[in-house]
Amino acid sequence: MSAIQQERETIQPSLRADRSHGGWLASLLLAAAWLALPSIGVAAEGTGAGPTEYRDIPYIGSRNLVWIVAQLHLLLAGFVLGVPIFAWLCEVIAWRGGEKRYDKLAKEFTKLLTSAYATTALFGGILLFLLVAFYPKLMNYLTDVFFPSFLLYCLLFLLETATLYLYWYGWDAMQHGRKKTLHVFLGFLLNFFALFIMIVPNAWATFQSSPVVISEGTAFERAWAATWNPTWWPINIHRLIANVVLGGYICGAYAGVRYLSVKSQEDREHYDWMGYVGNFIGVFGLLALPFAGYWLMREIYQYNQQMGITLMGGFLSWLFIIQAMLIGVLFLGSNYYFWLGITYRIPGSEAKYRKAMLWMLISLLFCLAVWMTPHSLVASIEEAQKMGGAHHPLLGVLGVMSAKMTVSNLMILITFMSFVMYWRAGKQDTAGWAKLGKAVMGAILVLASIAVIVLGVWGYFVPAIVRINYFSTSQVLIVIFVILTITPLTALLLKSAKTTTEMVWGSMPPRAGYSLVLNAVMVILLMTLMGYARSSSRVHWHVYGVMRDTSPYAYSPALGSASLIMAFCTFFFCILVAFIFWVATMGDKYKAAGGTGKGELPHGIPAMAGGAPDENQKG
Amino acid sequence: MSEVAQLQLISLGIVGFGVLILLFIKATFLRVTGFVAIVLGLFSLMSLAVPQMASLPPAEEKVDITSIKTPTDIAAIGQSVFFSKGQCALCHSIGPSESARCPDLKGIGAKLSQDFLYESLTDPQAFVYQDYRHGGVPKEYPATMPAIDKDPIGLSKNEILAVIAFLQQMSGEPISVKVSDLEIPSQTQPAPVKAAGSALVADAHTP
Repeated sequence: MSAIQQERETIQPSLRADRSHGGWLASLLLAAAWLALPSIGVAAEGTGAGPTEYRDIPYIGSRNLVWIVAQLHLLLAGFVLGVPIFAWLCEVIAWRGGEKRYDKLAKEFTKLLTSAYATTALFGGILLFLLVAFYPKLMNYLTDVFFPSFLLYCLLFLLETATLYLYWYGWDAMQHGRKKTLHVFLGFLLNFFALFIMIVPNAWATFQSSPVVISEGTAFERAWAATWNPTWWPINIHRLIANVVLGGYICGAYAGVRYLSVKSQEDREHYDWMGYVGNFIGVFGLLALPFAGYWLMREIYQYNQQMGITLMGGFLSWLFIIQAMLIGVLFLGSNYYFWLGITYRIPGSEAKYRKAMLWMLISLLFCLAVWMTPHSLVASIEEAQKMGGAHHPLLGVLGVMSAKMTVSNLMILITFMSFVMYWRAGKQDTAGWAKLGKAVMGAILVLASIAVIVLGVWGYFVPAIVRINYFSTSQVLIVIFVILTITPLTALLLKSAKTTTEMVWGSMPPRAGYSLVLNAVMVILLMTLMGYARSSSRVHWHVYGVMRDTSPYAYSPALGSASLIMAFCTFFFCILVAFIFWVATMGDKYKAAGGTGKGELPHGIPAMAGGAPDENQKG
Repeated sequence: MSEVAQLQLISLGIVGFGVLILLFIKATFLRVTGFVAIVLGLFSLMSLAVPQMASLPPAEEKVDITSIKTPTDIAAIGQSVFFSKGQCALCHSIGPSESARCPDLKGIGAKLSQDFLYESLTDPQAFVYQDYRHGGVPKEYPATMPAIDKDPIGLSKNEILAVIAFLQQMSGEPISVKVSDLEIPSQTQPAPVKAAGSALVADAHTP
């Protein structure tokens, strides 16, 4: 009997018998496992009966090791793909608006890319080796299906690398005139190739969840059919937005940490402003992310209802309560940062907006409480008998999708209004139509909120299919409508507005820095949590319904033990990013110590904050 | 000490470690590390506070056909399949249920014949029984009953017959599935497959 078979016959029965959930021991022995890497193959499946299907590694187990490396690779990839979007947006703002500090910020982050890119590729390489070593049968199958796209992926990597080198090393040489235009185009190309570098492997991953297998046709036709599977584009869009969010919040966290440690006022101003920009871009993406998530889940349900139920109503259902908590904290953290900005950066505004902020906080907490309400409560038999079932007579009403969709949309609206409030703080309207404009915006907001709530309540009285297809979609469209109408109206209104209070950078309290760090940790945790969810939704299949997982690890651990691995991945990723930042800025510190200094530091109010650009900053 | 309690202790330790750093260390980077440790520890504690459910692959239960003596034995196996490998209870209930997403199967064994039930399980779209209202015309995707003799569920003929026996028993009907209907494994070896176009094609699932 092979070692793998022996493990299968010990691990799974022990889980069944002991009601154990697996993985906790592994989480304690991570360090030992790294040392045990050379012993891969010790537990290779028997050699006489046919080709090897699985190999294992002592202590940590092959599945846990692949889980950690894959998660770290994915987080790094999200960072490496998110930062160029962030940097390019900043460069375009500087290019079109003339504010040099945005160009400086873009350069500062592009500098990270070379080392971050190498680290991501390193983890990608390790992941590939581990997959080939541990799952030869699966990799053989996937190679057979996706062979043409492997070649495309290699080509894309070459193009991306060449473009990155040109973009980074040509930064100073391409600063003016047509060369700058070319540089901006290179930034676009970098993101264009990066998008394809993301969506090609997304096809491999989504194929495992929602496979489309055709047995006829050329290798290209089979690969194309497998690529264009039902969850491919929902994942592509979801990950693209999530990468922007990750890039923005990590920028914010970096600025937050630096803000806490720097001494000079100039540096405090610089990192305060950087934190603001990072948080703004993070929130900008965050507002759209739930829509993309909703679409993805809808596609999963449509592809296979059982998989949808496993996620939302089966053993993973409690995961979505934890997800609600993390998203809720992220919304609270982002709003809190805006409110701190109003209070400390725009003196005198606090009194004007204090009441509104209090109501927003209460509303957000109420929405979060509803979102976190489980459908079925954990109750003893006596408690369940008193309640008349697992559903609480009152709270049970809040635990359904109709209520959760409503509050998530309201939270997006509140966060958007926090931003608008911040944008408007310290300005006085001078336009003749200002009164009418504000009345229209107020009416849009109030009517939209009422409409979202009415649809939510109405959703209880219609069949689920009507609610999902029409009501939930309408709620999303209403919120998008609000964002798309109020944003340009506010921008138009503030174009002619008079600045009554100049924005003061560098005056935020230390808790602002910690809130930026908290936001970044929440986003990373969310990514690790949903990675576990997506992988677990395939249950005991490598390729859902096509290739069964027959290894000893064909089970999904319980959320508690999985959370420790997620926490480890998050922590390790944070350390890796801190290391990348440290390495990338080592030269700057040396230069600064040598007297060359930091050069220009930000002054005035950024355009995105609604302030008039400083004339001295125009290039 | 249970596994969950051990994990809670570890998580509490992480939170405590973070608190100690914040209390006694001045260096900014380490303080931020301590803050992150507190957040991650609290996340794990929260995750450990919800019901802990692992998802195990369906156990490969080998049924000894020779041990089945009566239709009631078949129904007992069917009950096990209904709630485990068959995943029927994921959507269906037996009796009214708030959380059921598909038709209530109470009394279905009295309402439909054995053959009809078999067809409904293996070829669900062959005849859509107009008893369950979906809220409109059935669409291409939503809430379709899967063919349960195919992957990912992939019940064998014997398992399907056992589920039918269980449904009949639940409806208070005499069980029409006989022990002789079950296939003995050695007799169910697939017939040789001939080239495409041949009249003789193996189909292990054909009733």
